[in-house]
Amino acid sequence: MATNPRDVAPNAAAGQPVLSVDNLDVSYPVYGQDSVHAIRDLTLHVQPGEIVGLVGESGSGKTTLARAIMGLLVQPGRVDAGAIQFDDKDLRTLPEDKLRAIRGKDIAMVIPNPRSELDPLVTVGRQISNVARAHLGIKRNEADQMAMDMLGAVQIPDPARRFKAYPHELSGGMAQRVVMAISLVCSPKFVISDDATSGLDVTVQAQVLDLLRALVRSHNTAMLFITRDIGITAHFCDRVAVIYAGEIVEIAPMQSFFESPMHPYSVMLLAAFAHNPTLRAKWHKPLASAAPAHGGACAYAGRCVHAEDHCRQNSAELRELAPGHFVRCHYPVERPL
Amino acid sequence: MRILRYIGKRMLFIVPQLVGIVLVSFLLVKMIPGDPALLMMGPMASTEQLALLRSEMGLDGSIMYQFWIYLTNLVQGDLGNSWQTTRPVLEDLFMRFPATLELITLSLLLALLIGIPLGVAAAYFRRSVIKKFSDYYGLLAGALPDFWLGLILIYFFYTIFQIVPAPLGRIGFAVISPPPVTNFLIIDCILDGNWQALWSTLGHLILPVVTLGVITAGPILKMTQSTMERMLESDFIRYADMCGLPKSVVIRQAFRNSLPSIVTIVSVLYGFLIGGAVLVEIVFSWGGAGQYAVQGVLNADINPVLGFVLFSAILSLIIYLIVDLIYFAIDPRIRG
Repeated sequence: MATNPRDVAPNAAAGQPVLSVDNLDVSYPVYGQDSVHAIRDLTLHVQPGEIVGLVGESGSGKTTLARAIMGLLVQPGRVDAGAIQFDDKDLRTLPEDKLRAIRGKDIAMVIPNPRSELDPLVTVGRQISNVARAHLGIKRNEADQMAMDMLGAVQIPDPARRFKAYPHELSGGMAQRVVMAISLVCSPKFVISDDATSGLDVTVQAQVLDLLRALVRSHNTAMLFITRDIGITAHFCDRVAVIYAGEIVEIAPMQSFFESPMHPYSVMLLAAFAHNPTLRAKWHKPLASAAPAHGGACAYAGRCVHAEDHCRQNSAELRELAPGHFVRCHYPVERPL
Repeated sequence: MRILRYIGKRMLFIVPQLVGIVLVSFLLVKMIPGDPALLMMGPMASTEQLALLRSEMGLDGSIMYQFWIYLTNLVQGDLGNSWQTTRPVLEDLFMRFPATLELITLSLLLALLIGIPLGVAAAYFRRSVIKKFSDYYGLLAGALPDFWLGLILIYFFYTIFQIVPAPLGRIGFAVISPPPVTNFLIIDCILDGNWQALWSTLGHLILPVVTLGVITAGPILKMTQSTMERMLESDFIRYADMCGLPKSVVIRQAFRNSLPSIVTIVSVLYGFLIGGAVLVEIVFSWGGAGQYAVQGVLNADINPVLGFVLFSAILSLIIYLIVDLIYFAIDPRIRG
């Protein structure tokens, strides 16, 4: 049924995507109750070299998506349906040892709070070279040299000295750079950054993000950039996806998204981050809505300022309302600006 | 350099610590009812004889005066005599402490060999038979009295199967003992080149070591398992998995981070077993330090008890120092 919007990849651009997640369902069973559906029917394709921002509030399923892609869901989470394809490989059916070979080498993860994520007993240089050694099958001194180069690449001053530092001796920003070095040392094709800079203060955050973006761009690496801060995505990403209650509610090219956000939730998120009071006031005003769409029900209806009876009874589907701009809403916001 | 300064600082505190320990145990032992003079002289002694002996032993002075006498003797290396063995306590302890240390050191090694692999496996394979087994093992080892296990083992392996020597001491009666050098029988046998005695010594060690080892493996197993479980769920192990490091590397990483807890429990067990092995020593007629101290307590023989406490305290302090050095070696955060 090609007419069913679910079957159409919302971002089917030209070329073979490096990562494609199709109709993914993830749930966490709860003892004696209905299980919690963390991800519902999520489809997302990332092209080589593309940076896709994924924005959502706490509990919206951002991290669950990242962990599902890595095959490392927290117990008792499980993938109920859907496919995760990376580079011709079906990650859902791949055995654990093959997955281990891909993790850290082809798909790497940048994580927040790096100081608790690094082994406290091992020098940071060794931690970088251990990953290189595990994946590239090279000798220790060769891997150490790579680690040293990598520390230079993430702009850590005096790499030779920092190589011998332990995680507790580093500042948060420095540790974040080390984690970036670990994730990039094997030149992965795809990087997931999960709220990576949330623990840093704003100036350091900007430096680290610029560096990450430059490194990813220079290697033509694709990236899924997960964040709670919609403002960051504006100057960081090629495309922006907004996730709410485990569903993508809007996904669009960066330009199109910020010029004309169409989902009421996206508009609310933008308003929350807008510092301009007139903009805020404008976005908060009830806005004209398009004509009711065909059948569906909506997860956001309970919080939506535009919700009508129709929304509370029918779920919405993703619809392409502008080129590459998909919205899951019965009454999308029209041109708020 | 840092480490030398650290050790020096620790050494400084050892002397006041020891004086405190001796004082407290002196007062405690003095509170035990019983008159050593009466016990020494027997029920037929006259009141005058008893009074004379009491004043000879300094028992008629105040308790602080008695403590002062004990302390001044102690500084000169005199721990007093035991009226039961009629020998200097220091000599007795030099004979008996090695017997106990030999026993509990080997027992702890066995306990480590059982507890650590089982604990690591149980923590890694959360839903396996091994996990079930180690749960029951921990429960049983905690519930079974060690002397009871010793008696059961003697019944099967000595009485029925007759494959181990009789549970009477550290070496067979028919075997010529090596000349005492260290009083650690294994070492003395090797120094003497007396292989027959070594064989007999090892044979006598098997059952008590198995008894204590099997029981002591329980807490080591539990500590290893719970710490490993915590480590395997920690952020940095999750991150190591995300980096795709091989399983063996990840487990080793978790284990290294669990080591401080395991070292701690081993040191605590070591200190505990010095006295805690006494029931097993009695079952096997081991003649160790614990037995010596208990005899002292039961017969108001104060000097052996105090000597035992002092030796145990020194040994514990040495062990804790070693433990701190191990922490130093493992954890860079302490090295600072």
